[in-house]
Amino acid sequence: MADRGAGGDRGGFGRGFGGRGRGDRGRGGRRRAPRQEEEKWVPVTKLGRLVREGKIRSIEQIYLHSLPIKEHQIVDTLVGPSLKDEVMKIMPVQKQTRAGQRTRFKAFVVVGDGNGHVGLGVKCSKEVATAIRGAIILAKLSVIPVRRGYWGNKIGKPHTVPCKVTGKCGSVMVRMVPAPRGAGIVAARVPKKVLQFAGIEDVFTSSRGSTKTLGNFVKATFECLLKTYGFLTPDFWRETRFSKSPFQEYTDILAKPTGKPLILEDVERVDA
Amino acid sequence: MGEVILGMPGPWAKKFHEASDHYTTKIGGLPDWPFPQEALDSNLLKCRTCGSKLSLVTQVYAPIKSGALMLEERVLYILGCLTLACGKTTLSWRALRIQKPCIEEDESNAAHGSAVPNSEPSEPAKETSWWEGFDEEDNEDMDLLELGRALSEAATSASNHKKKSGNQNSCTVGNPSSLKLTLPDYDSNVTVIPCFYIYSVEEASKDVTSVSMNYSSLSIKESRTSTDDNAEKEERWDEEQYEYDRALTADRTYLKFKKRLDANPEQCFRYSYGGRALLAEKVELENPGTCELCSCQRHFEMQLMPPLLYFLQEKAKGPLKETLENWSWITLMIYTCSQSCLGSHNTKNRTKGWIVAEESVLVQSE
Repeated sequence: MADRGAGGDRGGFGRGFGGRGRGDRGRGGRRRAPRQEEEKWVPVTKLGRLVREGKIRSIEQIYLHSLPIKEHQIVDTLVGPSLKDEVMKIMPVQKQTRAGQRTRFKAFVVVGDGNGHVGLGVKCSKEVATAIRGAIILAKLSVIPVRRGYWGNKIGKPHTVPCKVTGKCGSVMVRMVPAPRGAGIVAARVPKKVLQFAGIEDVFTSSRGSTKTLGNFVKATFECLLKTYGFLTPDFWRETRFSKSPFQEYTDILAKPTGKPLILEDVERVDA
Repeated sequence: MGEVILGMPGPWAKKFHEASDHYTTKIGGLPDWPFPQEALDSNLLKCRTCGSKLSLVTQVYAPIKSGALMLEERVLYILGCLTLACGKTTLSWRALRIQKPCIEEDESNAAHGSAVPNSEPSEPAKETSWWEGFDEEDNEDMDLLELGRALSEAATSASNHKKKSGNQNSCTVGNPSSLKLTLPDYDSNVTVIPCFYIYSVEEASKDVTSVSMNYSSLSIKESRTSTDDNAEKEERWDEEQYEYDRALTADRTYLKFKKRLDANPEQCFRYSYGGRALLAEKVELENPGTCELCSCQRHFEMQLMPPLLYFLQEKAKGPLKETLENWSWITLMIYTCSQSCLGSHNTKNRTKGWIVAEESVLVQSE
């Protein structure tokens, strides 16, 4: 019985749903219709729900409290329109199997708005298109704020890294040194892309180690950018005033003491 | 056994505390016990941490068919605590399995015995015989069962559906009058969660792989790579190795979880009797323990997913909204007895032949 359509499965769950949900499907009635991407995003995390409702306006609020961004739609909503992406390289990755070699493609994608936000995504997949799309999503999940500063006189907008920073991944070490205006980005082609997307106009770089490994090279540059906001400079010597995290502010329940110092407090003012 | 059934959101209930029958699968509202609520042990409806009354989160009609085992009358109720400080641990959640042995099924089985060995071409003929049988029978129990079965059969056989739809609609309209559709007086201490009904969809594996194809909002500048060819010729890159997915704040397990969710973004729960749970975090799951009635190992049956919270929060108002926002679980896994046992006979007396078993709930928080 009931082997007809349900295929004699164990949990015969698909049957017997009374008459209720069957006839009218007011909400979410799409079954296997072709889906548009502009389909409503249904958030999964608490942060996602807050962003969906519009309670969080800028991504800096999220960075301020070091909240993990677990949905790429969050970044799409907050920074999305100005975010550009580019495929840096697609490399074949091979694996030896008994039946010959299995080739998959590894895509390196960098996303950024050219104004202080950059993300890097790496994805392996059997098809190029899938790898690229997957890498774009991962890049959006990894968007970080980049701090920019001055080389000398504090005239105009910040254009270079605030101080000498260095990032390391594998054997590759990348060092970024502040440069005067007009110097441009002095770096190899690949990290130059990342720095352009980050919105840094002038910088001197120096690298060491096996920079032939593209993955490590590009990740080392990214690490370096990550550290720009981790560096304690005299501007941050002022005593920090803690503010409420979005979870506390909007739910007003169970004050969770975050206790995180507001290093990023000045972000909104300096970059604004 | 590997297939997963997703519970997708259907229409909202007109009134949150409207009653339906125990064959309905719904989220929120009041539980539809197949026996009077007084027969149930009131401790089962209280939170273990704070003692307040639990509210129904999900009611799932979950019959089982596996070989010789045919359990039609089986319903799962998942109750949660809505008080502010609660809702974070396993203790504030309760899963109850209500089941009835199929002794009186023999009659119905015999009647449909001829229908059981079926083949595709003879399906239309069988359908008509069902409908005829339906009119003849007076037994009200049978009506409900047959209705349930007949409706699902009608749904699965698309070609006959149009013909029978006339009959079907009249049956659906006819029957509810025999059910208690009037608003019952309910205990006002219990907070009622906004109620909506669920329809089921099987998760197709091609959904998951094709998700990545549908992102047109993501631009692909494939043409760009060709213009950089000159520069690239001078660069010689080392061979790359396969790398697992990783983002700054998300690990591989979570990314797989999210990928499945993105394939069907509105799924409220995943049902897979005896299947594997989809974890959001790679943690060592605690042992769900053994069944209280028969002491055999519990296995996974279903898990609740976050879109459920989103839908409820959308609809809830006022203080209820705040308490719902307080919930920060990312998935709730329900483990039930692997034999779906019925226990010993003396437990059945008060509840009119139904047994009530408590099952275990595992919580994964954000």
